[in-house]
Parts: sequence; structure tokens; C-alpha cells
Amino acid sequence: MSLLKVEGLSKSFKGLQVLKNVSLEVEPEERHIIIGPNGAGKTTLFNCITGVLPINEGTVSIQGKMIADLPSHTRVSEGMSRTFQKNNLFGKLTVEENVHLAVTARKSYRFKLFKSLLSYKDMQQESQDLLKEWDLWERRNQTVDELSYGEQRLVEIMLAIATKPTILLLDEPTSGMSPAETIQTTKLIQKLPRTISLLVIEHDMEVVFSIADRITVLHHGEVFLSGKPEEIRNDQRVKDIYFGGGALQRAEA
Amino acid sequence: MKKMIFPAAIAVLLLILPVMLTSYGIKLTAEVFIMSIFVLSLGLITGYAGLVSLGHAAFFGIGAYTIALLGKFVPNTFVLLASAIIFAALIALLTGFLFIRSSGAYFLMITLAFSQMLYAVAYKLKGVTGGSDGMSVAASLDFGFGPISGSMGLYYVMAVSVMICYVLLRMFINSPAGKAIIGVKENESRMRALGYSVRSYKLLAYTISGGIAGYAGGLYAFYNYFVSPDTLNWNFSGQVLVMIIIGGVGTLFGPPIGAAVFVILQNYISSYTERWPMIMGVIFVAFVLYGRGGIANLLLLAWRKISRRQKEINSPALNSSEKISKDETKGVTEA
Repeated sequence: MSLLKVEGLSKSFKGLQVLKNVSLEVEPEERHIIIGPNGAGKTTLFNCITGVLPINEGTVSIQGKMIADLPSHTRVSEGMSRTFQKNNLFGKLTVEENVHLAVTARKSYRFKLFKSLLSYKDMQQESQDLLKEWDLWERRNQTVDELSYGEQRLVEIMLAIATKPTILLLDEPTSGMSPAETIQTTKLIQKLPRTISLLVIEHDMEVVFSIADRITVLHHGEVFLSGKPEEIRNDQRVKDIYFGGGALQRAEA
Repeated sequence: MKKMIFPAAIAVLLLILPVMLTSYGIKLTAEVFIMSIFVLSLGLITGYAGLVSLGHAAFFGIGAYTIALLGKFVPNTFVLLASAIIFAALIALLTGFLFIRSSGAYFLMITLAFSQMLYAVAYKLKGVTGGSDGMSVAASLDFGFGPISGSMGLYYVMAVSVMICYVLLRMFINSPAGKAIIGVKENESRMRALGYSVRSYKLLAYTISGGIAGYAGGLYAFYNYFVSPDTLNWNFSGQVLVMIIIGGVGTLFGPPIGAAVFVILQNYISSYTERWPMIMGVIFVAFVLYGRGGIANLLLLAWRKISRRQKEINSPALNSSEKISKDETKGVTEA
């Protein structure tokens, strides 16, 4: 059974159809990448899958469980987590406080009223492990606003990982990063345990081909093509329509 | 341990303060304490949950009227104060469930409308509440060792109350739920993406805040022996909002400072001129324009400056090396 299944999903804004009958699946352990030109509806698709936007038609399920009608925050307990295209963090809080909030999100004590959050050792330990793993331990006492853009991007991914997802949706994880940061981030994504399946929107073709098990091409709100990386790379129509031939060849070289 | 010195000093100061005050001063300070509790409650939702209400007097009034109305039948102080808290919290829970869907100016307007509605009810229900004449409080403040009515007794009850509220709120904002509420204020959509039920946390903050405001109202009824619809009026809600802004939004020690400054200035200025709201207005505008973060922020900045100077005096060697490195960086940037 596929981990995440989207079937016949349609979404329109005031008559403008943004997504048309989109179906896609993410298998357990799979790293599935969505590509497509600007305005293809990629981020809208993410917002529909995660429940930020209501959908007009279709179904979304995780491990066979229908989640399309669940409010967005409860999908996290179904194992779904996401990052945002634009950094969406607690800018005035420190890096450590950001992680604390993320780690606590799935704890049973998240509604406790009087015991200090810092007294929960398991939360402290998990936070520390994450900060070290993501190379942000030295930065833990700085506010997120003080970090560089690339570091903020890492915090963005780290927070999503902290909720222990089985399916992680990354919306352009390397956008706005320097080439060095892009390489570092790609490595970190590659190193993620296979127990976390990935659905990733990405523009950088080098990143796409170094991560993808499967690629889905979205165009004008419809699934244009879905297949193995080689199939996509060698598909003449994709080359012609999306990349003008150039980007794919550069990635090959 | 070092952290405890400051709060302990404040507590001791509050306990010995009456010795230095006239009886009028004691009475006034007791009122400051009641207002402090009320302002703390509004500060919780305004400063930590990001909910700006212009109708918080509703819960203060509910607490006060609970004591006045129930006091005729149940003379027990514990039962009365507990009912004031529970009743106010319950109303906050029910109304919050509806109000919290809106935010910003809409939330402000709907809370204002609600409190004005209660005001109208208290005003019109002459048979029950005495209407605009208000009603006297039959029950007396008695914690099991005789009725407390002198200003000294009232002072200590209010002082202990404000300290308890402060400590409980301090614990609350450091708890998992409190931290989550701060997260909600900082970034709702990220909190949702992390799996937090944003609405539940707002409602939690609103309910706790309502309960504390109810407690403040209850204390006020005992303090004043008299309750009028003015305790529900938006005028009062507005004053409390002014106290928060003068004291400092988003801190716990700001609101009591704001309450103290407001109540004392109001008393002081109004003995000279009837136009005291005008002077208060100027002070308020000055704080909004130039003193963001209120007195709490100013104190914090001053404290940092003093402690930095202290460090410089204690370790001149470190200071000079710091200066050198500063000069170096300056040189680099200039180059």
C-alpha cells in the first residue's frame, strides 16, 4: 500500500482552476520529486495535501486513511510534516526555542500548564540531538532572525523533521541558498533515514536528480508525466516543453 | 538561586511597605494590587497570545457581580472567590469559543460588543443588580480568622493575591502550554504545521485570563463593598489596555508597573485638575510613539546598562581587550 495517495485532486480559486484531477502516490521509503515551471500549481498542491487549503474534489490518504477532511494540524499526528517555500519560523525566538516547540508538538505533555517545559529531559535530549545533527548547536542561543538565510532554511527542515514524520513534504528546500549551502543541504536530505518518505518540490535539477527515486512533472495544474528519473531525463517532450533542452543536459554533464 | 533574589526582595518590600505609608496610601496600594491582577490577566492574552481585547472588563465585572449577587446567600469567602473565578472562566471559555475565530480588529470589536452587552444587562436589570445605582456587597472578606475590613488587612490580602497570581502566571508561561501560546503569537501557520491546535491554545489562554480577571473583580467587590455597572464598561477595559501599554506588553512585571503608575497618577493628578484624562492621554501617546515596550522595557535597558558597567569595573583587563577588538572591527569596516 502506498504511504501517501492523492487521487483526482482538483482545486480552483474563484473560477481559476489551479489543479486539475491530480493523482500521485508516494511509496514507503520513496523519494518523490515534483518539478514543473512557475505557476504549475506545485505549492498549491502541497497546501491541499497538508490541509492549509480546502480541496474542491478528490481524496488524500495516508496509509489508507482518508485525511482530506481533517484540519491541517491533526495531519501531523498521521505522520505528515512539511516545510515552506518561504521561511516560516519563530523569528524572535532562539534556534533552541524553535526546536523545543517542534519537538514538544507530538508529546503528550504539550498541554501541561504549570510544569516547566525545560524540566522534560526527553524533550531536551531530542532537541540537542537535532541541533547537533543539523550543525546548529553553536547557534542555539541566537534568535532565528539573526541567522543567515541558508541557516534559516536548515532550521526550517529541522523543525519539520522534529515532529517525526513518516512522510515529509519539502517545498523547494534549497531555494535562495548559496551553491555551497545547496550542496550541504542536498547531502543532509540524502542522509535522512529511509523511514521518512519524501515528497519534494525542487527547481535545481542537480538536486532533483541526486535525490529522486521518482519524478512527477506538473504542468498547468495537471500531472504531465510521472516516472523514474531516467525516463524523465530522456523524455523529449519534457525537455522541449519545460527546460528548453538546456537544464537537463547541464544536469547530465 | 540568584534569580530568586529579585522576586524575594520585591516580596519583602511589599510586606513592609505599609509601615511607610499613610492609611490612604495603604488603601490606594491595595487598589493597585487589584488592578495589577486584572492587568496581568489581560497582559496574558495581549502580550503572550496576541489577542487584544477591548472588553476584558466583562470578566472583572462578572467576578465582582458574582460576589455581590451570591454574597447574600453564601457568606463563605472561599466559595465566593472560587465561584467568581470559575464563573468568569466559564463565560470566557464559552464566548472565547466563538470570538477566537476572529483576530485583530475584529476580535477587539467583538469583545467590546460583548462587554457592552453585559454592561447594558447590568444597567437595565434594576431588580437584580440595582441598575445604575449598583449594589452593595453583603458578604465580608473572611478567610476563617474573622472578617477583614481594615485597610491593613485588605492590603495584605491583595498583596498576597497579586504575588500568587504572578508566580502562577510565571509558571504558566514557562510550561509546555505557555510556550506553545507564545509560539502561536509568533507564527500561527508554523504552529499549525507542527501539529498544534492553534485555536485550543488561544482558548486556553483566554479562559485562564478570564478566570484571573474574575478573581480580580471578586477581590474588588470585597475591597469596595459596592459594585456598579461601571466595572463592566468599555471605559474600564480601555484603561486597563492603557496600563498594559504604559507598563510593557509581553512581560509579566510590566502590567503591575503600568497599573501602579496609572492608579497613582490618576489619584495624584485628579486632586489638582478634573482634566486628568487629558494628561494621562498625553503620557499614553508618548509611550506609544517613543516608549515601545513600556516602562518594563526602559527598566530592562537601564538594568543592562548598569550590569554592563558593573562588569567593566570588575574586569578592566577584559574591557580593554574588548575595546581593542571593537576598534579593529571598526577599522575593518571602514577599510
